[in-house]
Amino acid sequence: MKLALRELRRRPGRFAVATVILTLIALLLMFLGGLLDGLEASSTGALRAQRADVIVYSSTSQDSLVRSRLEPAVREQVAGIVGDERVGGLGSVQLGGRLEGRGVRDLVPVVLFGYELALTGLPEEVPARGQVYADEALRAEGIEEGTTIRLGPARTPVEVIGFLDDSQYSGQGTLWGSLDTWREVLDANRPGERAGAGVVQALVVRDDPARSGDLASAIDGATDGATSSLSIDAAIEALPGVSQQRSTFNQIIGVTVLVAIVVVALFFALLTVERTSLYGVLKAVGASSGTLFAGVVLQSVVVTLIASAVGAAASVALDAAIPAGSLPFVATPSRLLTSVAVMLVAAVVGCAFSLRRVLKVEPAAAIGGAQ
Amino acid sequence: MFLALRELRRAKVRFGLLIAAVGLLVFLILTQQALQDGLVTSFVGAIRKQSAPVLVYTVDSQRTLQGSVVTPELAEQVAAVDGVAAAGRIGQSTFTVTVGDADETDAAFFGYEEQALGGPDGLSAGRLPNGAGEAVGSDTDFSVGDRVQVVGTADAPAVTVVGLAEDAQIQVTPTLFVRWSDYEAAVLAANPDADTVLPGAIALRPDDGVSDDQLVSRVNDVSDEADALTRAQAADEAPGVAQVRQSFQVIFLLYGLVVPLVTGLFFLIVTFQKAAALTLLRAIGARSGTLVRSLLVQVVIVIGGGLVVGTALYAPLSQVEVGSINLRFDVGAVLFWSVLLLGLGLGSAVVAARRVLAIDPIEATTGGGAR
Repeated sequence: MKLALRELRRRPGRFAVATVILTLIALLLMFLGGLLDGLEASSTGALRAQRADVIVYSSTSQDSLVRSRLEPAVREQVAGIVGDERVGGLGSVQLGGRLEGRGVRDLVPVVLFGYELALTGLPEEVPARGQVYADEALRAEGIEEGTTIRLGPARTPVEVIGFLDDSQYSGQGTLWGSLDTWREVLDANRPGERAGAGVVQALVVRDDPARSGDLASAIDGATDGATSSLSIDAAIEALPGVSQQRSTFNQIIGVTVLVAIVVVALFFALLTVERTSLYGVLKAVGASSGTLFAGVVLQSVVVTLIASAVGAAASVALDAAIPAGSLPFVATPSRLLTSVAVMLVAAVVGCAFSLRRVLKVEPAAAIGGAQ
Repeated sequence: MFLALRELRRAKVRFGLLIAAVGLLVFLILTQQALQDGLVTSFVGAIRKQSAPVLVYTVDSQRTLQGSVVTPELAEQVAAVDGVAAAGRIGQSTFTVTVGDADETDAAFFGYEEQALGGPDGLSAGRLPNGAGEAVGSDTDFSVGDRVQVVGTADAPAVTVVGLAEDAQIQVTPTLFVRWSDYEAAVLAANPDADTVLPGAIALRPDDGVSDDQLVSRVNDVSDEADALTRAQAADEAPGVAQVRQSFQVIFLLYGLVVPLVTGLFFLIVTFQKAAALTLLRAIGARSGTLVRSLLVQVVIVIGGGLVVGTALYAPLSQVEVGSINLRFDVGAVLFWSVLLLGLGLGSAVVAARRVLAIDPIEATTGGGAR
């Protein structure tokens, strides 16, 4: 083991290119994972931020918020199950926002939500008409508390009165106001999507602890099939592309891990071939195959740790350097740690290819010079 | 040559692992290239496929057709611009539909007024619609003769698919090119609260002698509300498309770096390991050029083998659908990456080749070649 570490210290050049390759592979894994996390975070935040158990869409909407439309009568049926105070309407509209001092064509893409039940990080009271909370991501656009954003072609003004975190939707920053604000903006800017009095796109529902049974099924039963109720997690999975995106990225990450295994296997197999006579000598003086193989594994782990550390640092730097609103990349500690763990497993598995060769080294050959 | 091939035969595992690594990397690159192309085509295929050379959105739409609302005043202003030969309304929305007796599903309606101003440009099967009630569908999602019923109010329209168009999806959704009256009826059926259906864009055809780019400039000069784009610009600058391309470019760059590094490292180590044998060959009269050629032959065989393996893995995968994204075997992409990776691979062997050229035959008598 000491020998393995000493070789790393004395001849770092021998491991340099392998370290560079593994660094690139580690960066690839972290970049792919970070891209997946960023894409998911920017499209699902508005649903994850809901302090509710179930989201109710109209049954003909294919669980799409923009195509869902629920009449007041349906809301009453849902309220009949859990009580009116546990049911809140939800509506959304995607628009361009104009800010003071910016060019006439320089708009900020936003999604305005109308809500009734407070989200994580927001006070219970819904803002007054014309006032909104903004997602933290919009600070990068220069939006601050007190900023007036003029929404849509009708330039409907809304004033930002505070911020909330991690509530992006469809890759855009969000604004959260009352249902009245939402209706007013929708009416002025999207006549084809106008919502009548009491009409909302969806309902968010908090379960009543005194009630038993599955809430989603109870709601769909009470509305006689007019609704499609989903848990928050199921609603997130139902968002277009979320599950397909995740499985595709995970498959790409899986094959990249395979490449890492092959690279480690190749590199240490070559090193082992180079050291065959040296291993023969070491075995002749009493070193066991286990000790020699442990040295190979240790070297691969150290090389991989260095590569992963550089890869992680590069990912964090990339995250900081990417301008807001361009690539949806985030370097989260969990993603970086997972990638490091995967790289370490790949390193150990890759090394296993050299095990047979280490076991086959014949100590007698060291004396006879028959390598 | 003889030596190069014999060495490959003798060290099958060593070279096999390298070919496997290169093959997996080639597979990943080609698969992701296919994913990128499929994703972009599914996002904006209908924009590319529609016949109008110039599209005018509102600035507020951020270049999304579904998010654009062109007021009658702006439409009039645009149609009156000098150089406009013809103008027509275009709209796009996604609806819940049933196709025949099948379950409810999503379909995007791409509504147009005139065949030459937004109708499908080229069919893969069937014929163009003769009027309202007929549609052209994206060929991966529909068949000629399909009856598509919009789910909504009792008077919701139905259309019959009479033709099919290749690569005609929009927003990764099955897409139907329909007449404006059908589109209007579908919007009103899906949302009874809507009282007006405004177009999302105005399609323009320039006068003879006026180029598409000239018309775009003239329209943008006339109104700050208008965002005129050529057909190609409308597709390439749609939100998400640039992000998708940027993300994949970073991924391609990293994979593109890994391939030559892995190959270069392998041949450098192998050259070091063979130093004694190469010195001996030089001492008995083998020329440096011969040895370098052997090295390059091995590089070509390894990269070529990797390309064959990678392409063989990619071929069956390129025939499948990932979610709603249709992948395709792209001969151009295979050729581009083959030439690029072969060039980079040969370039990466330069260090090993220099090492071979630096061998001094006299060292065969001193044992220096083995150092």
